[in-house]
Amino acid sequence: MKSNPESGIFDSLRLELRRGCLILAVLAQLRVEHYGYTLRKALADEGLAIEESTLYPLLRRLETQGLLTSEWREEDKRQKRFYRLSPVGEAVLAQLLAEWNGINESLHKILKHQEATV
Amino acid sequence: MDLLERYLYAVGRYLPMATKEDTLAELRANLLEQMDAHAEELGRPLTDDEIADTLRGHGNPAVVALRYLPQRSLIGPTIFPFYLLTLRPILAVVLLIYFITYGVKLIATGDTPGAWATGIVHALLGVIPVLLVNAAIITLIFAIIEVVHRKRYASTASDAWDPEKLSPLPAHSRPKPAASRIADLVFHCLWMLYVLEIPHHPYLIVGPGAAYLSHLSIGWAPVWHVFYAAFVVLLVLQLGIKIARLFGSLGRWKAALSLLESAFGVLTIGWLAFAGTYLIGTGPGADLHTLAIVNHWIGVSMRIVLLFALLDLAQGAWKYGKTLIPAERLIA
Repeated sequence: MKSNPESGIFDSLRLELRRGCLILAVLAQLRVEHYGYTLRKALADEGLAIEESTLYPLLRRLETQGLLTSEWREEDKRQKRFYRLSPVGEAVLAQLLAEWNGINESLHKILKHQEATV
Repeated sequence: MDLLERYLYAVGRYLPMATKEDTLAELRANLLEQMDAHAEELGRPLTDDEIADTLRGHGNPAVVALRYLPQRSLIGPTIFPFYLLTLRPILAVVLLIYFITYGVKLIATGDTPGAWATGIVHALLGVIPVLLVNAAIITLIFAIIEVVHRKRYASTASDAWDPEKLSPLPAHSRPKPAASRIADLVFHCLWMLYVLEIPHHPYLIVGPGAAYLSHLSIGWAPVWHVFYAAFVVLLVLQLGIKIARLFGSLGRWKAALSLLESAFGVLTIGWLAFAGTYLIGTGPGADLHTLAIVNHWIGVSMRIVLLFALLDLAQGAWKYGKTLIPAERLIA
């Protein structure tokens, strides 16, 4: 069992790591239209569980930044707000994916190099 | 669904008016969807406890609402370092002016150690409100600068700086060369010899005035004998420190020893400042009225010296205290 200070540090760093990946995951998932609940479910199904109280404000913020568009529509007798990527959002997503792949590659090289020297 | 509506009402209290209805509508739809999915899994409607659990899992209404607000800070990360760099020295100057002002008042009105002690306590109690008010003013000024900066500038002056224009290292962070330490020790020894000769040759301290004083039937009060002894003890301590420095740096002990020196000096001067009598009549020709006036003003001068010694000690104690704070607390 990890001691409290270590688990506290790990949790804090894990949160920072996930925060960075979350926006990319949300933008990527919204290449297909979703509303809040189905988006959260889709991310959870892919292994990226996120709290509703974090996801919904994030969607609002991304929309304010012009990366998403939204519209209210009725489905199953209930009004729901559907989100999808805007054209600007698609361009930014492409850039972020390139950045992500670059970071991933660098990290693999670092880890491979360290394994070779150990 | 009373619980849900109450929850949404609580969240809504913290939301901006412009987006409140829209945000709550979306939140309602998503929470209802979540509860419907849970009810479908169970094959029955949710109980009030289960609805409460869902809302509890969603989060505290105030915290949820805050997440919908734009991320903002009173003083942003670009301006904040300058704010800190300005706040600390200005508060230090405010403290200095405050204590000097209070000190002058004490010198003028404090004739007894009790009056001084009361005055010092009042001065210390008054420090916090003074610091708070000045810190608030500086924070307000920088908050205004932050707003202007956000509106007008994409980057700040911090993006353009020249490493060659950085200020040189302060003298105390450079180690003193050995020749300097030896010279320091030699001069200290000469100074000690000079001081040790004073009782035998008073003209070493008052010059030709020594003969004039005895002609006026005026002599040194016994208080000076005690002061002299304490002064010699201090010189011996300093001699020990200077000899120790010849063999290597004193490291962390340097600051502590310097603080002890200052504290000893303050005690000595403090004792002298309230002695009252510095010169005495030694014969029938002594002008006692003039002596009383001279003694009074020597006392006032000693108290001024005491004030500066106290300020020096306080500054030294503050600097030493900072070295004892762990690095991560300084950064935080």
